[in-house]
Amino acid sequence: MRKRRDQGGGGHESSTGIDLAPMLDFVINLLIFFIITAVFVKESGLQVNRPTSFETPPDEQDAKSIQIQILDNGEIWVDNRAVDVRAVRANVERMSAVNPDSGVLIIAQEKAPTGVLVDVVDQVHLGGIYNITFSTTQ
Amino acid sequence: MQSRRHSPESEDHGIDLAPMLDFCVNLLIFFIITTSFIKEAGVTVFKPEAVTAEHEDSGNLLIAIRENGDIWMDRQRIELRDVRTRMERLHIERPDDTVVIIADKASKAGIVAQVMDEVRLSGIKVVSIAADPGA
Repeated sequence: MRKRRDQGGGGHESSTGIDLAPMLDFVINLLIFFIITAVFVKESGLQVNRPTSFETPPDEQDAKSIQIQILDNGEIWVDNRAVDVRAVRANVERMSAVNPDSGVLIIAQEKAPTGVLVDVVDQVHLGGIYNITFSTTQ
Repeated sequence: MQSRRHSPESEDHGIDLAPMLDFCVNLLIFFIITTSFIKEAGVTVFKPEAVTAEHEDSGNLLIAIRENGDIWMDRQRIELRDVRTRMERLHIERPDDTVVIIADKASKAGIVAQVMDEVRLSGIKVVSIAADPGA
């Protein structure tokens, strides 16, 4: 500030510059617009595989994989037994101890609620298996 | 300009706007870039909860499935058969995009599976089902 004043002659240098004020107003308006319209979507989710249609039907895919069935009414069946959602984890842990490399195959009926499906996927994750395939039956 | 030339003194009292302007323009560019990449579903659904849900940082194409089976994408309701063409177009524009399916707790697993298939047929291989972490 002082320096400019000392240059004497008065204001010649400053008057050659562009007036930034209108541009600044405009930029700030744009900025406010984008801040307001911005959506910060941070979705969190669970990743599951789908069997490709060209592969063999999932039930014959490999005998070793752990199969969990979800019925239309939300019942969960493992090993031909109906189990509670909290028991899925224990079942998965037990079966993965026998076959450590095995993945999990979730077979849901068409009308099975997605909430139950996600619960089961969650329990399987807790049981230590992240290789989950999801298929549906009529 | 003309009036300023007559009063050079007032210019000296002004704040130097250049750094602030730089900063504002940077912020502006940031918001322009981040906003345009997310395709919102545009409908509210009750998401299931899962302890092991992971943050999907790149998941930016959101498809919502409502309780009654309606499929919502980009703030409009679409048919199941339209999912594939829309996804193909978006996949060509930005091949790194991934899809998050936001399915209602009470929606049917069959519809979720069908939507997942349509998305996979469009060429997008990473599909996940949304869940709220920390149930």
